[in-house]
Amino acid sequence: MFLTRSEYDRGVSTFSPEGRLFQVEYSMEAIKLGSTAIGIATSEGVVLGVEKRVTSSLLESDSVEKIMEIDRHIGCAMSGLTADARSMIDHARVSSVTHDLHYNESIGVESLTQSVCDLALRFGEGASGEKRLMSRPFGVALLIAGVDENGPQLYHAEPSGTFYRYDAKAIGSGSEGAQAELQNEYHSSLTLKEAELLVLKILKQVMEEKLDSTNAQLASVTKEEGFKIYADSKTAEIIQELKESEIDED
Amino acid sequence: MAGLSFENYQRNQFLAAKGHGVPKATSTGTTIVGCKFKGGVVIAADTRATSGPIVADKNCEKLHRLSPKIWCAGAGTAADTEMVTALISSNLELHSMSTSRAPRVVTALTMLKQHLFKYQGHIGAYLIVAGVDPTGSHLFSVQAHGSTDIGFYQSLGSGSLAAMAVLESNWHEDLDKEGAMKLCSDAIQAGIWNDLGSGSNVDLCVMEVGKDAVLYRNHLTPNVREQKASSYKFARGTTAILKEDIFKLIDVEEETIHSEAMEVDA
Amino acid sequence: MAQTTVASEYSSEVHAEPIEHRFNPYSDNGGTILGIAGEDFAVLAGDTRQSEGYSIQSRSMSKVFDVGDNILMSANGFAADGDALVKAFQNQLKWYHFNHNKELSIHSAARLTQQLLYGKRFFPYYVHTILAGVDEEGKGAVYSFDPVGSYEREQCRAGGAAASLIMPFLDNQVNFKNQMDPSSNGTKKKELRYLSLQEVVNLVKDAFSSATERHINVGDALQIVIVTKDGARTEYHSLKKD
Repeated sequence: MFLTRSEYDRGVSTFSPEGRLFQVEYSMEAIKLGSTAIGIATSEGVVLGVEKRVTSSLLESDSVEKIMEIDRHIGCAMSGLTADARSMIDHARVSSVTHDLHYNESIGVESLTQSVCDLALRFGEGASGEKRLMSRPFGVALLIAGVDENGPQLYHAEPSGTFYRYDAKAIGSGSEGAQAELQNEYHSSLTLKEAELLVLKILKQVMEEKLDSTNAQLASVTKEEGFKIYADSKTAEIIQELKESEIDED
Repeated sequence: MAGLSFENYQRNQFLAAKGHGVPKATSTGTTIVGCKFKGGVVIAADTRATSGPIVADKNCEKLHRLSPKIWCAGAGTAADTEMVTALISSNLELHSMSTSRAPRVVTALTMLKQHLFKYQGHIGAYLIVAGVDPTGSHLFSVQAHGSTDIGFYQSLGSGSLAAMAVLESNWHEDLDKEGAMKLCSDAIQAGIWNDLGSGSNVDLCVMEVGKDAVLYRNHLTPNVREQKASSYKFARGTTAILKEDIFKLIDVEEETIHSEAMEVDA
Repeated sequence: MAQTTVASEYSSEVHAEPIEHRFNPYSDNGGTILGIAGEDFAVLAGDTRQSEGYSIQSRSMSKVFDVGDNILMSANGFAADGDALVKAFQNQLKWYHFNHNKELSIHSAARLTQQLLYGKRFFPYYVHTILAGVDEEGKGAVYSFDPVGSYEREQCRAGGAAASLIMPFLDNQVNFKNQMDPSSNGTKKKELRYLSLQEVVNLVKDAFSSATERHINVGDALQIVIVTKDGARTEYHSLKKD
């Protein structure tokens, strides 16, 4: 496959002479192999949508979990080596619950994202002597959606430990096309309903398989309802709605 | 039965060992001083009485009369200073009558120390004894265990260090009456302001050779309470009425008597 | 006649047990604090006398602090622990700002204080802590804590040396305990109402001047800190110094 670049390829926390951390860069490549995940933040709430790769007709599609709850007011979608997300989400849940214990209030979405990203760098020793927790960087990226006193927010957290806030973001194998489409379609007055349709519409475009309620999953976070993963029946309804609107346009 | 009763001593020791609290005596955690001057002696005291950190009496009297011209200032357990003083005062009067002489300060001092020594310090009286007698003016102090001291100036009580600081720096041999009064009240004030066991006012007693002793009760009152910000008078009807019973203690019968014009003797 | 026991019979009683000398990490530095919540303000007041035994260490030691974010804090009892707690709180508050980039609300401050106190459950901060501020609805708030972090939001609370002298007065004058509506002639409870700032300040002054009269560890000066949504302001009044 690759040519052996150099010995800098091996040490996870060793810079190459050009100033690169190859292992971290490779970890980002792992995400590009993952299934597509999309998030859109509107003034009413944040919508998350993922593609589930149902690789076999014998696979129980409910067992593919790519959207998870972190707390009542925060949820996340993932792409990449989803097993790695387990420990990230565990950490996020602990952070959220601990914050509530310490301050008797819900943690902010940015603070939560920051705490997940703090963990992402623990493949090396910490600056103040913290133990090295992992042998390699995470191979997964998260779209963290939540609502706090600053309103609905969407963050993208990378294995490199950096994070950015987005109005709309796509990750995974179909992310290039999806992101371009989001760029075209996103506007700040989008409703939650419109965002649901837009997420599915884009997923449909970038997915190899035909979109249905078993290979796609939706979730939203709103101030009123908190985090909710949509039932397959509800996803199916929205898919139906999408189909009808596409027929209308044609 | 004479003297103190120790009937409950053992019972109380037992109770205390069982963890029952011993009742707390009011202690005059006090400042008292005395100072001699040419032709007499002055003693002074603050007026705060405490029970633990609580002020039990804001204007108590710590200057006791042993005889018309022998006075003493007391620190320690309030009840002990009062009782021992009253007892010795009585005995001094009897002694004076049986000897047909004016009582002497040393006599009072000796009676006090013998009494206190007998009780091995259990009578918590710490006294400054002063006065004038046919032999001149005198100033002594007695400790609860019975030891005594003589000196031109003395201080006792929790504020004794603050008071002694003033006495040590300002006392001089040719003090006159006014100077001694000022020195004593300054020493007491040092206690009032700097010792938490002392406070409120300054009481003072001057005993001059050939003159009647003069007690200056509340010689200085530097701690008058300021006016409160609000009034806390309750409006009539504020108190809850839980039950009302009216008892008729007497029956009042009214009777109108119609009578003819009264018969009057002619 | 009952047999009399004379004092000398007890003079031979000697204490045979060895006397234990050991370091005591705590001391009591006296002082009293008082917090009252109003409709849109709260006050936290404390005297400025710091003492140990019968000695005054300071006549002008503040113990009510504006710790930031419109929160007033006072930890009364063992002064060193009180200082340490306030410092620990201020340190945590800085970190909260760094980590969460927002103001700490009074109810979060209360929870944080509980965490700090309970964190020393088996070597406690020897203090009675009171927090005052304005809540998210704009209402005055007072929180009080025991030494190991049990806490409660209240309308008013006195803490420290003279707490037991002041608290019954507050019950009667702030929460109108044992007071009936005078117009009902003692049959209906006097209705609760918010006290004005002036009424509250007057109560605080009278509570402290009265405590000064009867408690030796209270006196010298009174510091009253008033907090509203617009910030904190401090008043000083003199108290008796004896």
